[in-house]
Amino acid sequence: MGSAQSRRIDRVAAAGALIALAGCVWLPFAVSRANRIVAGVPAGIGSAGAPGYALALLAVLALVAALYPDRGRRPAFALASAAALAAILPWALGRSAVTLLAGAPAFARVSVGGGAWLTAAGAAVVWFAASQAASRRTLGYAAAGLVAASWALAFAFGGLDRLSLVMEYAVQRDLFWSAVGTHLSLVGISLGIALLIGVPLGVAASRVGLVRDVVLGVVGVIQTVPSLALLGLLVVPLSLLGLPGIGPLPGVIALTLYSLLPIVRDTYIGLAGVDPAIVDAGRGMGMSRLQLLLRVEAPLALPLMIEGTRAAAVTIIGIAAVVAFVGVGTLGVLVFLGWGQQADDLILLGALPMVVMAVVADGSLRWLGRAVVSPGLRGDLR
Amino acid sequence: MIRLENVTKRYGETLAVDSLTLDIPAGEVCVLIGPSGCGKTTTLRMMNRLIEPTSGHIFVDEADVETLRPEQLRRGLGYAIQSVGLFPHLTVGENIVTVPKLLKWDKERMAARVEELLTLVGLAPSEYEGKYPRQLSGGEAQRVGVARALAADPPVLLMDEPFGAVDPLTRQRLQAEFVRIQRDLRKTVVFVTHDVDEAIRLADRIALMRGGRLQQYATPEEILDHPANKFVHDFMGADRALKRLGRVKVSDVMRTDVPTVDSSTRAADLRSRASCAEERFLYLVDGSGRLAGWFDCADLADGGGPESAMTSVDWRESAVASDASLKEALSRMLEFGFRSIAVVDGEGRLLGDVALPTIEAALGAGDTHVAAADGQGGARP
Ligand SMILES: Nc1ncnc2c1ncn2[C@@H]1O[C@H](COP(=O)(O)OP(=O)(O)OP(=O)(O)O)[C@@H](O)[C@H]1O
Ligand SMILES: [Mg+2]
Repeated sequence: MGSAQSRRIDRVAAAGALIALAGCVWLPFAVSRANRIVAGVPAGIGSAGAPGYALALLAVLALVAALYPDRGRRPAFALASAAALAAILPWALGRSAVTLLAGAPAFARVSVGGGAWLTAAGAAVVWFAASQAASRRTLGYAAAGLVAASWALAFAFGGLDRLSLVMEYAVQRDLFWSAVGTHLSLVGISLGIALLIGVPLGVAASRVGLVRDVVLGVVGVIQTVPSLALLGLLVVPLSLLGLPGIGPLPGVIALTLYSLLPIVRDTYIGLAGVDPAIVDAGRGMGMSRLQLLLRVEAPLALPLMIEGTRAAAVTIIGIAAVVAFVGVGTLGVLVFLGWGQQADDLILLGALPMVVMAVVADGSLRWLGRAVVSPGLRGDLR
Repeated sequence: MIRLENVTKRYGETLAVDSLTLDIPAGEVCVLIGPSGCGKTTTLRMMNRLIEPTSGHIFVDEADVETLRPEQLRRGLGYAIQSVGLFPHLTVGENIVTVPKLLKWDKERMAARVEELLTLVGLAPSEYEGKYPRQLSGGEAQRVGVARALAADPPVLLMDEPFGAVDPLTRQRLQAEFVRIQRDLRKTVVFVTHDVDEAIRLADRIALMRGGRLQQYATPEEILDHPANKFVHDFMGADRALKRLGRVKVSDVMRTDVPTVDSSTRAADLRSRASCAEERFLYLVDGSGRLAGWFDCADLADGGGPESAMTSVDWRESAVASDASLKEALSRMLEFGFRSIAVVDGEGRLLGDVALPTIEAALGAGDTHVAAADGQGGARP
């Protein structure tokens, strides 16, 4: 943070601004097709009209902010231009869709082009760099709220509903929401079970050498099995027990197994890493094993345990898509459906919510890690 | 209070402690000392059952510790471990009330105790209570460790090199504080160290160990004057007479009726003062009694001006504290080339002075001849 501020040029922000600028002027901003299957016709940023040119201008502004010598205002300025980019992007896409669809047949559709994706990615990079350098978090929260509001308004009034991605959604709305629900509940249940099993296993591993070797070995091996193979392998033991090899049960089992490694490992590392002198002091003052665990060791291991949970959550949000293969209606269903129909936007409709879920899970668990961990363990204490 | 009977601890082939018998009376400080690996820590940790003896019995308050639940026993024995071991996720205040919390004291009582203990170990409660261990210096952390051991007011304190990790100056301050605190609290203390000077200064009795075996268990004076064997003799060091000075507190032997002059008096006016006839030195003190310097009548007699006879000093540098030992006082005097040195309290107020003849007298039979004094009390070169 300090180094980024003292540097003349914020290189990360500059790279992000260049990416956004390249997206605006270089790649097709939107792609139009006569129907769902035929090859698309690329359209430049000109198709987006005034909001499109505003995007290009903002990308230049962000670049200037990144290159201009910092006098303390740079993070705020860069953050503002990144937020403006993200806020205007849906209006540019909407305008582009409206322009390209004017007078076209009913089957015609407009997809988001590479340029628009690149612009979004560039804005995200600038945002990241600026929020790393910014001294206050409130600015970032305010900007995020503004962007979200702008997107909502663009759906209602900006023609964003004419994009094929949105039209796919309109068609698949019921399937989409049930897939989101299934995906979330599958991930949530699996993560919950993994925590219930994994934390005690981690505790046991930190106490008994034999348990440690066995448990860490086994969960390590599980992690190396590819997800499809694991689902296939599960059929055997399940059928021996007279249980179905397809459906939610193998799905939950597979996701739980994948969550175990980071949770068990980080719980173990966190507990094993507690300074023996601290444990000794606690014992010497008359704490029982349980009191020692709950009052001293667990709080000290908590940062790592939350980190393990975060890693597990992000991993299985992705793997839950594969579980669609055994007949569970996760977001993977939309992706496979899109592949089958060669409909890129249907694939996106399944993939984008997973990205959002992963980002939200990542961010909220990081936040939790900061919120519940004692200030005495944080690096920023003076 | 604490009795060890033929206690042995064996680790495979090594005898960490070899049939140790020790009786520590209530209210006394017993210092366990000896070379590294001689079994001091093992002995201490067997007392609170962090280590179980291979054979033998340990009694605390006439109860065999084997018959007590370890947790119960430990809550009655304050324990300060060598590496301090403060809980990093808890504040200083929360650390201190670890045992009271286990004993389910109520909140007000714990809050009052934190304030009391922080004051006792010389840390301002308002400033330190909310700090986290990583915000403390090594010396501050060790004080908190001692406060934590004292928290539930246990009758017994087990301290394993509690001042091990601090610089010599802080160490001496902590030792002085320990002496002061112990004078009031009268705990039964088992104190591990491998610093001979620390042992002599703090101990009522010293238990000197070697290779798990007790070599001698006696008062510091006894051990210095009549070492039981050559090992004890060598371990205590060649400068035994000097070490004995470590037992004598400055405040016990200092002269208190020292001549003083207000420091605002003009030098020229001092010439006419009658006191110059009796004493060579007049101490200059300011309005609140703080040592500010001294006036040398001899300089005046030699024909020097009154200004040259006046010396201004900082009490922090040119005096000793009243709870310092004679050994410290002597070493300061040799350092400055003084034949006597002023004694001040914690605020720098002049309490008296100590001169070389006094120290010579304290050496007793005088098997050591410190530089001959010129006989005049309060003389400086
Ligand atoms: N857990 C153990 N296993 C094997 N040997 C041990 C163990 N603990 C201590 N010892 C041995 O017992 C002897 C006494 O150890 P102890 O820790 O009591 O020494 P100490 O006097 O406290 O030394 P120091 O001054 O270095 O702290 C040493 O020789 C040590 O190697
Ligand atoms: Mg030791």
